[in-house]
Formats: sequence, C-alpha cells, structure tokens
Amino acid sequence: MKRSVGEILGKTGIRIPLILWTIAVLYPIFWMFLGSFKSNAEIYRNPWGIPESFDVQNFADAWTNYNIDTSVFNSLIVTVIGAILTLVLAIPTAYAIERLKFRGSNFLFILYVSAMMIPMVLGWIPLFFLLMEFNMLDNIFGLAIVYAVSQLPFTIFVLTSFLSTIPKSLEEAAAIDGMSPYGILLKIITPLSMSGIITVTIMNSIQFWNEYFMALIFLQSSENYTLALAIDFISSEAQYTNAWGTLFASLVIAIVPVIVLYAIFQRRISKGMTEGAIKG
Amino acid sequence: MVQSKKQKYTFLAFCLVPTFIMFAIFTLYPLFSGLYYSFFDFSGSSQNMEFIGLDNYIHLINDAIIPNTIIHDYFLVVTKVIGIMIMAMFFAVALTQLKIKEAPFYRIVFFFPNIMSVVVIGILWTFVYNPDLGLVNSGLEFLGLEALARPWLGSETWALPSLVLPSIWAGIGLFLLMLMGGIANISKSYYEAAEIDGASQWQQFWKVTLPLVWPQVKISVLYIVITTLNGSFILVQVMTGGGPNNATHVMGSYLYQQAFVQYNFGYGATIGVMILVLSLITVLILQLLMRRDKVEY
Repeated sequence: MKRSVGEILGKTGIRIPLILWTIAVLYPIFWMFLGSFKSNAEIYRNPWGIPESFDVQNFADAWTNYNIDTSVFNSLIVTVIGAILTLVLAIPTAYAIERLKFRGSNFLFILYVSAMMIPMVLGWIPLFFLLMEFNMLDNIFGLAIVYAVSQLPFTIFVLTSFLSTIPKSLEEAAAIDGMSPYGILLKIITPLSMSGIITVTIMNSIQFWNEYFMALIFLQSSENYTLALAIDFISSEAQYTNAWGTLFASLVIAIVPVIVLYAIFQRRISKGMTEGAIKG
Repeated sequence: MVQSKKQKYTFLAFCLVPTFIMFAIFTLYPLFSGLYYSFFDFSGSSQNMEFIGLDNYIHLINDAIIPNTIIHDYFLVVTKVIGIMIMAMFFAVALTQLKIKEAPFYRIVFFFPNIMSVVVIGILWTFVYNPDLGLVNSGLEFLGLEALARPWLGSETWALPSLVLPSIWAGIGLFLLMLMGGIANISKSYYEAAEIDGASQWQQFWKVTLPLVWPQVKISVLYIVITTLNGSFILVQVMTGGGPNNATHVMGSYLYQQAFVQYNFGYGATIGVMILVLSLITVLILQLLMRRDKVEY
C-alpha cells in the first residue's frame, strides 16, 4: 500500500506529543543528576545548564555530613527483611488458597484482596500504639514487619494467579512418590513459581525502598531514618542552608538502585505493576 | 492419598495460620481499633483516653477545614482521572495502532516515574515550581510570558492545581501499559472490517477501540480514584505540607496533622473513618455508573 502525504504528516504529528512528554519525563530527572554535580552558587547562576565540572563533592557531603550512609544501610535492611518476610508469609498462603481447596478458601482470598482497596491511613494510628507496646516503634525491624504485612495482599494476589498456571501433575507425582506436603511446597512449588516470586519480590523491594509515609510515622530518631526520611530531612534543612547540591546528590543516591533494577527487570516490573500494584 | 485428615489439617494450618495472625495483628486489628478510637478523646497516653461517644463526629461536621479537604481530594481525583485517562489513551493508541518504530522506547520512558519514590517526585517537582530556579517560571519568561510567573506552590489559588501535574506525570505510565495491553488484545479483523466500511481513524477509535478496551478503562479509573483518595496526601505532605493556609490539605494530610503533629489521635481516627466511608461510597457509585455505561454499547 502506498502511503499518502497526509499519512506521513500525521505520523510526524503524532510524534510531537510523544517527544514532548519524553522531554517532560526525562528533563527533571536529568536536571537532578546534573544538579548533583553543581555547587550551590552554580545552581543559582545556571540552574538548568550543564555543570562546569563533574565534582563529586556533593556526594561526599551527603554521604558523610548528612549520614546518608546510615540511611542507605537502614533502607537496605528494611527492604531485604521486608521482602523476605513477605515471601515467607505469602507463598504458603497463596499455595493453600490456590491448590488445597478447603472450606473458606474463597472467603480468605477475598479478604486478603479486598485489603488492597482499603485506605490504611486509618489503621496507622492504632499501629503506632501497637508498635509502641511491642517496643518496635522507632525500630527498623518493626518497620520491616509492617511493610511485609502491608504488601501481603498484593503478593498473595499475584502469586495465586501465577500458581494457577503451573500444571498439577508434578505435585501429584511427588505425592504418589511419598513426598510430604511440606516437601512439595518447598521443593516443587517454590522452585516452579520462581519467576512469579522474583517479579513480586522486585516490586515489593522497590516499594519498600521508596516508602516514605509509614517511615515518617513509625521512625523518630535520625539514626534510624530510611533514605526517604533522610532526603526529606535534607530537603527541609536546605530551605535554610541552601544545600541544594547535597540534596540532589542524595536524591540520586536514592534513585540509582531503582534505575538499575528497572534496567535489568523492565519487563517483569511493568507486568507485575499492571497485575495489581498501587501507587499513591 | 496416603495423607490422613489430621496431617492435612496440620499442613493447612501451617500454611495459613502464621500469615493470618500477622495480617490480623498488623492490618485487621488496627483498622477496627481505628474505628474504636474515633469514639474517644485520646491524646496518646492510655490514662487520658476518655469515651466521648459521637463528639468527634460532631466536631468533624463542624470543622470548617474538613469540607475543603474533601473538595481538594475530589478535585485531585477528577483532574487526575481526566488528565491521566486522556493522555494515557492517546499515547496507548499512538503506540499500538500507528506502527511507530520507537514505541518500546516511549513505553519504557513513560513508565519510568512509576518506579520513583513519591518523596523524590515531590522534591523534584518542588524545584520545577521553584519561583527563582524553577523550570515553569523560567519557561514562561523564555516565552515572554513573565506576567504569568508566580510562586506556584506558595499561592493559595495555584498550589492545589500545581499538584495535579506531578500526579499525572507520576501516574501515566502504569495506565498506558494497561490500555496498551487491552488494545493489543483487540482482534485486527475489527479494524480491517472498519477500514472496508470506510471508517476514519477517529471513528475506529470511538466505535472499535474504546468499547473493546472499556474493561481496562474501568479498572484504570477505579484505580486512580482509590489510589488518589488513599494516597494523595503523601505528595501533599512532601510538596506543601497542606499549606499555604490549608489550601492544599487533603483528608489524609489533615489526618496526619491532627494525629501525629497535634496529637489528637481520636479525632485523627474519626477523619480516617470518613476517608474509609467516602472511598467505599465513591467506588460503589463509580462501579454502578460505569456498568450502566457499558450496556449502551
């Protein structure tokens, strides 16, 4: 089929909004990267240009003077423990709901899934006092537990739908060979669903790494701050100290691990998100 | 099966009970006890927890800030639904139907903000709106429209509308993917038939694409509504803290302020109950509305 002039023009026309939105998405992010190499004076003199030199002083300042090193470590612990705990809790439940039909399995599934729709902000007030009672307030392990449970509904939802695609014959064969149900869960089901497990774990990890509000409520002392809180703190400090370069450097530190994960797992992340993630 | 009934139940309990206990302690119990707190005057220490019946609810009805927080939340809901759905739909159609070679590039770039932390997004956009350094004001100057430049987030009129753009910026990628998935599932034969009948691109969109991706549209709208009512306060907290002069307070940020800044935990819980009830009602109404819409096709 020969293309008409109008069609070619139309296609060029359609690219204009696509390119504009690409700029709108990427420019602020590039700007943040560029700003992280500028001195404060340069940020004021030349807010939107290329830095004069790629100086890493801001990163050094953020890392040592603003304790970003501690926050990175805290965020890492919260993310890893949260992600593992979510799996430990979600895999057996997802397996039981999807494969072992029992009375109430449907009800349980609906209960977990409907928790995804409920605004949790009401629950955060009692949770604050509950953690206080358990001596887990201002404690990154307490936060990790809260994170893990908060992602349970989403994780169970994704894992059950993933498990339903695994053929039953393997577990049946293993059961006939005398394998216990615990063995089947650990040695057959978990390895077979590794792809789904990896997808939800990446999504949960990004969520935990990025989370801000629960950390704001449940953490108090600066040595327990996660990255999100540390950045928020530097940002409000910068109103007075004008430490914008340091702020940009810490934003970059916060975002780089996520960019790397996204670069590696782009397809899995997009797929996992469309299967039911929730973003504020 | 060699398994006894007892073994079977032990295994079921092993799978379900620990998880359910954690879920009950850290999700169900807090929700119900939040409801319970809303009937108390509670400032944080259990000695001072006094049952006051519906007083918090009466206070809620008479609180002059509450109607504004509700209006602000629904302003964000409506502008986000319109902004995100129109743009995501336009991009989804462009990237699936028009055979643009670099479509995967756009898909990846547009999704990118979805994986960024709300704090990072909030701080970044605070700079975009910065009166001295910001992209918006320098852009307006560049276009010779200095008169329109203003301290966006510091203006009582403009602060709330200024929050819409970052929300759309951060949200579009996910819904673009959902809609692209829906459009990709539409059989090519429909478009071929429409082509033979001489339908224009525009007509094809209204008569073929839109009705057939309606399930995805419906899910997307519900998602935007739920996530906005449940989560818009995070961006508000990061970007404006509810100010200037309460002009951007939404229900969640007002709850945070009442409970965790002013230590009115009982009243905070009452605001939480209001958020819960309004969210449920909104979702129900929306589902009814969109179901009726579908029957028309």
